[in-house]
Amino acid sequence: MAEIKELTKKLEEIHQKIKAEVPWEPVGHTPMPEIPDLRSWDMRLLKTYKPWYAPFCDLCCFCTYGKCDLTEDRRGACGIDIATQQARIVLLACLMGCSAHAAHAGHILEILIEKHGKGKKIDLGTFIDLEAPNIRTVLGLKPETLGDLKTAIEYVYKEIAHLLDSTHMGQEGSYLDYESKALHAGMLDHVGMEVADIAQIVGFNYPTSVADTPLVDLGWNSVNKTKPIILFAGHNPATSTVVVDYLQENNLYDKVELCGVCCTAIETTRYSAKAKVIGPLSRQLFFIRSGIPDVIMTDEQCIRTDIPVEATKAGSALIAALDKAMYGLEDATEMETDEVVRKMVDEKKHFVILDPKKAAEVAVKVAMAIALKRRKEWLTEQEAVELAKKCTLCGMCEQVCPNLFDIGNGVSQVAKGNFDVIGEIFNQCIGCGKCEEECPRNIPIFKIMQVGASKETWKMRAGRGPVMDTEIRNVGAPITLGTIPGVIALVGCSNFPDIRDIAEIVDEFARRKYIVVLTGCSAMVAGMWKDSEGKTVYEKYPPDFDAGGVVNIGSCVANSHISGAAIKIANIFAALPLRANYEVMADYVLNRVGACGVAWGAMSQKAASIATGFNRLGVPVILGPHSSKYRRLYLSRKEEDEWKVMDARKKQIVETNEPSPEHLAYVCETKEKAMVMIPKLCIRKNDTPQGRSIKLNHYISLYKKYMGGGLPEDLPLYVRRDADIPLVYKKEVKAYLTEIGWKPKEPVGLPTLIGTYPTKVPVDSVIH
Amino acid sequence: MSQLAPLMPYHRVNILTGTRTARLVEDTAEYAKQITKSKRPLLVLGPRLLKLTLGGRLLLEYALDIAKAKNIPTCATATVKSKMVELGVKPDSVYDIVEIINALKDPEWKGVRNEGNHDIVIFFGFRTDLGEQGLSVLKHFAPHLKTMTLCKYYYPHADFSLPNIRKDEQWKVFLENLIDSLGTKGGH
Repeated sequence: MAEIKELTKKLEEIHQKIKAEVPWEPVGHTPMPEIPDLRSWDMRLLKTYKPWYAPFCDLCCFCTYGKCDLTEDRRGACGIDIATQQARIVLLACLMGCSAHAAHAGHILEILIEKHGKGKKIDLGTFIDLEAPNIRTVLGLKPETLGDLKTAIEYVYKEIAHLLDSTHMGQEGSYLDYESKALHAGMLDHVGMEVADIAQIVGFNYPTSVADTPLVDLGWNSVNKTKPIILFAGHNPATSTVVVDYLQENNLYDKVELCGVCCTAIETTRYSAKAKVIGPLSRQLFFIRSGIPDVIMTDEQCIRTDIPVEATKAGSALIAALDKAMYGLEDATEMETDEVVRKMVDEKKHFVILDPKKAAEVAVKVAMAIALKRRKEWLTEQEAVELAKKCTLCGMCEQVCPNLFDIGNGVSQVAKGNFDVIGEIFNQCIGCGKCEEECPRNIPIFKIMQVGASKETWKMRAGRGPVMDTEIRNVGAPITLGTIPGVIALVGCSNFPDIRDIAEIVDEFARRKYIVVLTGCSAMVAGMWKDSEGKTVYEKYPPDFDAGGVVNIGSCVANSHISGAAIKIANIFAALPLRANYEVMADYVLNRVGACGVAWGAMSQKAASIATGFNRLGVPVILGPHSSKYRRLYLSRKEEDEWKVMDARKKQIVETNEPSPEHLAYVCETKEKAMVMIPKLCIRKNDTPQGRSIKLNHYISLYKKYMGGGLPEDLPLYVRRDADIPLVYKKEVKAYLTEIGWKPKEPVGLPTLIGTYPTKVPVDSVIH
Repeated sequence: MSQLAPLMPYHRVNILTGTRTARLVEDTAEYAKQITKSKRPLLVLGPRLLKLTLGGRLLLEYALDIAKAKNIPTCATATVKSKMVELGVKPDSVYDIVEIINALKDPEWKGVRNEGNHDIVIFFGFRTDLGEQGLSVLKHFAPHLKTMTLCKYYYPHADFSLPNIRKDEQWKVFLENLIDSLGTKGGH
């Protein structure tokens, strides 16, 4: 009884926090879920999509019991085995990522509440009523003000603490439970990201309820080098937006050039379309080493840890504007502004300045003072040739290249006057600088690469924030029926095997009338390619969330609007209640929304948590080859596993033998293979015959294009009846099916996993 | 089969510290012996076989010679199948690398010829980072089989690996000798 009373009291507290008395929808089964609340859903997912672990090393070195050897079924001194240790590391990665976004959200919220007050209304424009699908679904709270967002982020903080606790030595002993916790962290991440971006849209007046956002300049050659230049690096726009304000208030806006790398670049262009995007994270070190930025302002996440060293070498001034990265620098937040400026200009000192207004004023004054002394040009070709002649082809650069490039070959070709090879390597380079660090002849490989790099500039569409409710109403039916063959979300970092892959994937699928959405570094590099008419994908395709649209949703935190769009389909189109109803939303997305994430250059812990959050919501994610280093995938074995679902209309469990979606987290070694996996992972059991036929048409056609002809080996698993076979391949497919003895099967009326595992959610909940 | 003294892998950024590292094999005869005594070997072919040439021949052609020499079943990953078909060879199976490794983990799996899971798996033609991670999966979760690599880099997570070979000619000689040792010669 005492326990029941306790639970009731707890539930009462939750209901108070989520304002349960406001009857916009009935409160579902899992308001503000804690670790155990969605565990059954996770275990159901993990039954089909089993974790695949690729340990990075044989040991655990987390505590002073060890190092413990975990090979050949050995357990650590605490009892942990190798699989559980991998799951624990994955959870830690997800927590790092989730914390980064949550802390970003908390920080920006604090600043904006200070500026606008807790009661500042959330208004995302005429076409968005469902403002926060993740927060509504996970917490059961409909946030109406910035203050409500604080409730959401405090919930995330609390859950993060519980999850992190579980990674302490001597606790969790099951890899499946660690995976459930990682999925929980991933879900929380989408809540945190949503808080951050809604706050930013409301607080900074970013564009919203509009698809046709401005086309902004992209590429380092778009920067006007005759002006003082301020470079923003990181993800948090708290300071960059204030710099824009300062310039405008002081009539300096046309006199100073603002640019950014990584997500702060996207954020700043949402605030001011005059700002320039240098490019993704992989361009950060290149641009800094050029010496072109007069002032570098760092904020948080995905900024280099050696920026003070690099800034000093390049003759740039550095302001660390956020406490996440203070680099051991003196904190000048309380110092007189003119004194800070003097020290930065005359003594070349770098500072931490945590007051955005002061940081903005100092940055502008310092940039204007030192711009004239700047070392601002690339090497000439002749200088590059002379420097390249020092190369002895020792191979040290290749040995340390994370992308495994034969850089020495490129450099030695430059010595002969050929810049083609180094130009190619530049396109594939992730910009870490390991090659140059290792070179025994101290050859400035980066500067040589810059000479071989393209001098082009491009356009990218400024991030637009949430998908509009009106767009969802238009596409909900075609997506769930399959006649829009899928939503492809190209997200994540710039650890690409080749930077051009992204634009090629976008072009291939937009042309085929998939909906293509992008965020972060992927959104940037998609713009760094032009077709034969000189158009980028942002100029070539419409910006609408509709068939054939190419949509830049925004920065990393805008990923929450992609998961949000999937939830909106279930809620707006299918009219399923979402309030504290995570399992029903996730089940709907898994079984009926043909969406596929592609994190082709995923590198960071944030990418791990974003992807894992998508996985819990039922969205499969394809990763680039190096992402095997995340240590864990979620794979099925299509022919060996069971593919039972509940037919909600008939209330019968049905064995479909159809592996859709086949995997939840999958690595492809090549772009070509990814081109074939993407359409397959958009297949859903709910597809109508017409929709399935369209999806299979793309699957077969892309298979033929990239795999050299023939039919996909697993095609029979996805053909339910004759009507599923695409007309153009009818004869070939039918001959093949006859040859292997294929038998037709009935499509499932209303497929759901609810009812196939222990859950409080009744099957009727999925019927709309 | 593995040895305790670790050797530095070629791509040092992918150094994988550990207690069990691959046995470094420079003698063709030892590779040939391991393959010959295997009851159900499998040759897993990666996409780098389509990009690299040795002595004017595509690396894939060497791989197919090895398969042919001992009737070793093949698994084509990524886009390898298309080139194999072009060369007139049908792969025994088509899986991506993570999928074949996922299947190999299961001791009850029937293998690519439905004759039972494989006892030695030879990997050839993968990115070192992905290849190494895949080998780690099998090292830790597939004690029922041994792994072997034919690339010119040292793979610590394999059971048997070539050393880092700086000169392609040396690698070419190794592969040709292996084909000879396995019992046949010639191309496709």
